[in-house]
Amino acid sequence: MSRSVTTRAQPYLRQEDSCHSSSCQPSSQLQKRQASWGLQVTMNAIVALCHFCELHGPRTLFCTEVLHAPLPQGAGNEDSPGQGEQAEEEEGGIQMSSRMRAHSPAEGASVESSSPGPKKSDMCEGCRSLAAGHPGYISHDKETSIKYVSHQHPSHPQLFSIVRQACVRSLSCEVCPGREGPIFFGDEQHGFVFSHTFFIKDSLARGFQRWYSVITIMMDRIYLINSWPFLLGKVRGIIDELQGKALKVFEAEQFGCPQRAQRMNTAFTPFLHQRNGNAARSLTSLTSDDNLWACLHTSFAWLLKACGSRLTEKLLEGAPTEDTLVQMEKLADLEEESETWDNSEAEEEEKAPVLPEGAEGRELTQGPAESSCLSGCGSWQPRKLPVFKSLRHMRQVLGAPSFRMLAWHVLMGNQVIWKSRDVDLVQSAFEVLRTMLPVGCVRIIPYSSQYEEAYRCNFLGLSPHVQIPPHVLSSVGPTILNKIEAALTNQNLSVDVVDQCLVCLKEEWMNKVKVLFKFTKVDSRPKEDTQKLLSILGASEEDNVKLLKFWMTGLSKTYKSHLMSTVRSPTASESRS
Amino acid sequence: MAPTLLQKLFNKRGSGGSSAAASAQGRAPKEGPAFSWSCSEFDLNEIRLIVYQDCERRGRQVLFDSKAVQKIEEVTAQKTEDIPIKISAKCCQGSSSVSSSVSSSSSSLISSHSSSGGSSHHAKEQFPKYQYTRPASDVNMLGEMMFGSVAMSYKGSTLKIHYIRSPPQLMISKVFSARMGSFCGSTNNLQDSFEYINQDPNMGKLNTNQNSLGPCRTASNLAHSTPVDMPSRGQNEDRDSGIARSASLSSLLITPFPSPSSSTSSSSSYQRRWLRSQTTSLENGIIPRRSTDETFSLAEETCSSNPAMVRRKKIAISIIFSLCEKEEAQRNFQDFFFSHFPLFESHMNRLKSAIEKAMISCRKIAESSLRVQFYVSRLMEALGEFRGTIWNLYSVPRIAEPVWLTMMSSTLEKNQLCQRFLKEFTLLIEQINKNQFFAALLTAVLTYHLAWVPTVMPVDHPPIKAFSEKRTSQSVNMLAKTHPYNPLWAQLGDLYGAIGSPVRLTRTVVVGKQKDLVQRILYVLTYFLRCSELQENQLTWSGNHGEGDQVLNGSKIMTALEKGEVEESEYVVVTVRNEPALVPPILPPTAAERQNPWPAEFPESPEGTDSRDLGLKLDKEAHRRPEQGPEACSTGYQEPASDGSWKPQNGFCGDEKNKESPQDGSSRLCSCEVLGAGMKLDQQAVCELCKVEMPTRLPDRSVAWPCPDRHLREKPPLEKVTFQIGSSTSPESDLESRMKKMEERMKACGPSLEASVATDVAQDPQISGSPFNPGSQENVCCPQNQPFEGDEGESDKGFAEDRGSRNEATAVAAGKLSHTADSDAASAGVAGTRGRRLEAARGLYVKASEGPVLEPVAPKCVQQGPGLAAAANIPCGDANKKAICRTEGDIPRNESSDSALGDSDDEACASAMLDLGHGADRTGGSLEVELPLPRSQSVSTQNVRNFGRSLLAGYCPTYMPDLVLHGTSSDEKLKQCLVADLVHTVHHPVLDEPIAEAVCIIADTDKWSVQVATSQRKVTDNMKLGQDVLVSSQVSSLLQSILQLYKLHLPADFCIMHLEDRLQEMYLKSKMLSEYLRGHTRVHVKELGVVLGIESNDLPLLTAIASTHSPYVAQILL
Repeated sequence: MSRSVTTRAQPYLRQEDSCHSSSCQPSSQLQKRQASWGLQVTMNAIVALCHFCELHGPRTLFCTEVLHAPLPQGAGNEDSPGQGEQAEEEEGGIQMSSRMRAHSPAEGASVESSSPGPKKSDMCEGCRSLAAGHPGYISHDKETSIKYVSHQHPSHPQLFSIVRQACVRSLSCEVCPGREGPIFFGDEQHGFVFSHTFFIKDSLARGFQRWYSVITIMMDRIYLINSWPFLLGKVRGIIDELQGKALKVFEAEQFGCPQRAQRMNTAFTPFLHQRNGNAARSLTSLTSDDNLWACLHTSFAWLLKACGSRLTEKLLEGAPTEDTLVQMEKLADLEEESETWDNSEAEEEEKAPVLPEGAEGRELTQGPAESSCLSGCGSWQPRKLPVFKSLRHMRQVLGAPSFRMLAWHVLMGNQVIWKSRDVDLVQSAFEVLRTMLPVGCVRIIPYSSQYEEAYRCNFLGLSPHVQIPPHVLSSVGPTILNKIEAALTNQNLSVDVVDQCLVCLKEEWMNKVKVLFKFTKVDSRPKEDTQKLLSILGASEEDNVKLLKFWMTGLSKTYKSHLMSTVRSPTASESRS
Repeated sequence: MAPTLLQKLFNKRGSGGSSAAASAQGRAPKEGPAFSWSCSEFDLNEIRLIVYQDCERRGRQVLFDSKAVQKIEEVTAQKTEDIPIKISAKCCQGSSSVSSSVSSSSSSLISSHSSSGGSSHHAKEQFPKYQYTRPASDVNMLGEMMFGSVAMSYKGSTLKIHYIRSPPQLMISKVFSARMGSFCGSTNNLQDSFEYINQDPNMGKLNTNQNSLGPCRTASNLAHSTPVDMPSRGQNEDRDSGIARSASLSSLLITPFPSPSSSTSSSSSYQRRWLRSQTTSLENGIIPRRSTDETFSLAEETCSSNPAMVRRKKIAISIIFSLCEKEEAQRNFQDFFFSHFPLFESHMNRLKSAIEKAMISCRKIAESSLRVQFYVSRLMEALGEFRGTIWNLYSVPRIAEPVWLTMMSSTLEKNQLCQRFLKEFTLLIEQINKNQFFAALLTAVLTYHLAWVPTVMPVDHPPIKAFSEKRTSQSVNMLAKTHPYNPLWAQLGDLYGAIGSPVRLTRTVVVGKQKDLVQRILYVLTYFLRCSELQENQLTWSGNHGEGDQVLNGSKIMTALEKGEVEESEYVVVTVRNEPALVPPILPPTAAERQNPWPAEFPESPEGTDSRDLGLKLDKEAHRRPEQGPEACSTGYQEPASDGSWKPQNGFCGDEKNKESPQDGSSRLCSCEVLGAGMKLDQQAVCELCKVEMPTRLPDRSVAWPCPDRHLREKPPLEKVTFQIGSSTSPESDLESRMKKMEERMKACGPSLEASVATDVAQDPQISGSPFNPGSQENVCCPQNQPFEGDEGESDKGFAEDRGSRNEATAVAAGKLSHTADSDAASAGVAGTRGRRLEAARGLYVKASEGPVLEPVAPKCVQQGPGLAAAANIPCGDANKKAICRTEGDIPRNESSDSALGDSDDEACASAMLDLGHGADRTGGSLEVELPLPRSQSVSTQNVRNFGRSLLAGYCPTYMPDLVLHGTSSDEKLKQCLVADLVHTVHHPVLDEPIAEAVCIIADTDKWSVQVATSQRKVTDNMKLGQDVLVSSQVSSLLQSILQLYKLHLPADFCIMHLEDRLQEMYLKSKMLSEYLRGHTRVHVKELGVVLGIESNDLPLLTAIASTHSPYVAQILL
């Protein structure tokens, strides 16, 4: 047995040589190809059928590899026709194309796949699976972009060596009690192997049987060991069927020509001589199945697939924020609209430019909902650089007291009217101010030539001459305002931090809003309870209450309807005694 | 209230597990046996340890076999006092602390501790007296298995698992290269002692090799000049670990691989999994991930040996589990073993360390018999601990319904579950948070068991389901499919909270005499200790089997079918064991097959796929039975209108739409032609046709195929036919609904379905892959409008020629196709038998295959409008010639059902085009032959043999090292073992990746303290296990508001929603903090408080959270 270990090293070297010498590509290109192959293709397992040849020792007969897409799907590179031509480009296409090229004879790689490692003189029928020149098999799992390819040997030199090593160990190094059965072995350097050795009946073989193994190779030993029971079952099944086929052939042959008797009679025939003649039986003939290799390819690919998908996990992620929800809803509304109006797209495009230029003389005809949609979806982009770069900037420009006043009104849902001749300035101001509010609370009319009622918008841009009804200013602020102010004041906090801070504060208060909504609108609790609740929420001051009430208008429909529906379900109102 | 409430709440599961578990359950029904493994068949003493050595010079020797050890009970105390053990205290300390917590004998269970708790009196330690007899007879064989015949050159450790059939045993072995100190190079007293043991079972005589002890001892004493700070480890390891620790902290922060671009919400989970997939891929794996120099140390120090002096030596350690003869019990243990392998391995590593220690230490004992005694008892102690740990792990009472996992999986009782949880939760807030105990505990849990963070990270896509139900992460789902990683491993990491940066591995222990209270706390914590839930999927390719179809071999099928069992068949649960393990390929035809009217590789269409299969079967059947005459063959049928993809077929035949290329002058006809003949059957008729004809057909086929194998392969489709058709009692009326059902079922199977040729064929009844029998030739009325040189004679034509004509043809066809509802239906049928599949929906394909075959045509494409695709399978003469051309269709593909089809063809097509384009210099052999995978069905069941169910334990008799969560009555053992456990965890991480720190949260309900012990810091105060936890005010306020809301009678599910919202707030705050930390300037914590609402006591929690999404946070803070 040990003999085979040493002899095997050579064919491998030879194979590598042939691979390089026959390559008609410039070596740089070859390297490039290999590099990309290694980077982009991941394979987590290889299944192989090995055979201990009476003449040549352990041999890899047939080997199925998994090729994974370079990137998780959804990354956008769908396989496209013509991909083959882009082989040298990066990204998704490459891995298959390079792979395929590797097998194209023009590049000399076909030597690997069709007439693998060992020289012909080192190969007998028993050592060979696919006929010389056979290109191998491939199957595609489209959903996952996984490909399963089968050859007699892996064409990648490193994998060749790993499979080779595993094969030798499986059949001539590791000891399995009874010689038939499962065994696991491996190390970090050569990978880990689940091997199942077995005999196949052969009326012409010594001892009337030949020795094979099915091996599964992975680098992830835990995964492989976790899969032992599964693999054992499936591989055992495959082996059983192979053995069954072979047994039938064996019996038929024995019936026709009992070898044992014949051998008895020719007891003195030099066995070696006889063996040379007979050793060359392929597994195909032993099982009398011409399609055996195709069948094994499908079976191995299936095995790999089933093993890979045996365990799946369910991993939960967080609910979207209210802002996300509201934006989604607005998007959805918009889509609906655009479905109804063919030219809505064109319209929309019109809107943006109109605002700056035509505002002066032109009445805005769109309703507030629409325009808030517009801005809600972020589709409005100022043409120039924004006047106000950030809240903090605005605060600096306005001065702290004015800003605070402004911010207070913004937060409380009071209408903010910005009069200016400069439309861009107004736009920019609103874009900055709106970040203080939940998306659902923002209704902007960016620039109008007449006053719009507060219920239509809380941000209103007006040209200087427009008359505005007076409104009340208040001096105390809600808690959130103080915090926003503090953040804006602190120059040590970057704009990004302030942004993140705003997100936090808004979500924090929206969470209070949710509870209040549930309490007052859904459950219709009495006032005393509501008061209790507000103090629990840390929002019992008048301003805070006012703010919460205003912000309630910004809750997403999704959330509201969810609450409304669950409250009606019987379980929700269950008593707890 | 406590007991009754508990019982009411958790009494759902009856007890009845093992006796051990039952006793632990007592009044805690929630620790049910549901997920415990029964230990009754598991004999602790049947865990056997064998240590072997293989030396270049001296060959193999057994160094230890626990089977050869017998304990002598009586002798115990007497003699030890006299033993002049002159080993250094440090030495003893090292080894004894390993074994200090060990149950002293192999037979006693965990509860019994060895007498040597402390480290002061080692010299006087009493060894139980053991008698070492001759190793068992099988030991040589086992040695063979352990070492195999691999060369000695490999330096790393090798792992092996053997299954021994009789008596059933499972053997796990590790083979190490031995590392010896140079100064000891010439001494082999240890080994000599073992030899001595082996020779003399009675151990009476003096060993003659004492002379070798001298130098060795001196040397080792010298080596002790460096202080040992980790009692459980040898000096070398300590030194190593010191480096490793500092290195790990920094190196662990660096991600070795670029992260995938789309790391959306659950980035940390996603990334971790993606990384795993990368690091274990075969390419990357070629560079070993872990250091391969895991050696077996026979010297006390890294006296970095003069290489010349080091002889090659391997040490192998084997653990053998005797399995119960009962199949069930055996399977249980095996399931446990294989799924929990990382834990087994970890303990085995620990055992190995103990053996190393024992070997080194015993060398210092001069007298041979004492040395042996010392050695044997040390090993038996270590083995005893191993046995106890394994037994505990196996039998520990589990929390039957961990809140988070249960909420995730069961939708049925969600509301009760919420109420139950909230009731317990608020009770704890009210009752045990007076001194902030509960808040502290929750702070610690949220800080270290970080897997909750990804579950609250807001996503940017809308909810699909009800609001309270979070969504499963699609990106992770997809990742798992495209880049498989081990979900079990991922779950383990989640549970231990090992998703931050640097990686920490955390466990939580709740200590307390009040069992009820402890259990209540454990239960509540299972909501915050989160992990993914595992599903087990059984993939089948042969689909549903009728129950009667169990006999699947050879000709038996036929008889089964002849019975007319058809009518009896019901929709049955999939029985997997019936599925042949060899998956029949769908082959491209070979020359030999061409002659054959019945191709051997008839496409197996997995049963129960979709409505279109019906068509296929019909088709197949029709083809198969030429003798049946025209009436069968010439029938066409109309698809129910509801199935958008189907159109009436009648009358097509005459037009250009059907291109038939008779193959093989012999008389092959496309089925399309037959169907196209203009006959129209209604559904009922079709069904009847199938029902009636099937049985009769079978015999014919059998005649045609003498080879049993072929029968085997053909069987599945037949079964399918029976099943589907026969199952309907009133076929005419509910065909449509059944189709829908099937379609639903198919959809349910998910996108993972592999389309097979069969289905393609099925899509159009007019086209069939099977060649027609000569007998039916007359039926063909297919005008050849196509430019195809359709007849056999043409098959050998050059590609170019074929291509041109084909393209034309397809263009024509495309123009006529119209597709709406189901693009699949649009796909042109293919020569199913030939294994060539074409996807029409995406465009037009022309395929030439070596095979002779029919021209599949754009089937119903006729007249249906533009935008479809037609496929043609053209015989191209001999093997390996294949040309596929495709033009893009403008109709989107139906992803759900075509799965494997489209892209594969794309691939092939692309490459084929390449071939064509680049001319003839490429030969046909350049591409792999494509074999479609069979369509698969997946049956999913909840997997309970996973860490989420096994490592969340209940109230245990004693402290245990592996469990993510458990309770116990006293911290006695905890005190003994914790430090060693933590160190071990860092050195031998179960996660198979380096970790920076091991952490244990200890909540003591007797002292009302919550402490965090870590492998990083040493506790100076001996009374304390770890550091006290700073209570986060975020957590306190969270608890208070939940309690208040609950008291205001807000419904439980709403409270939980609010709880989740509040957790999300914490996440957002951590985002803010990380953003803040990114900046250059620092401000005071006070300012943070004012601005961000963050207080200093929140910082540990928030930075920990931040480390899951922003690894640099840890870097900054460290």
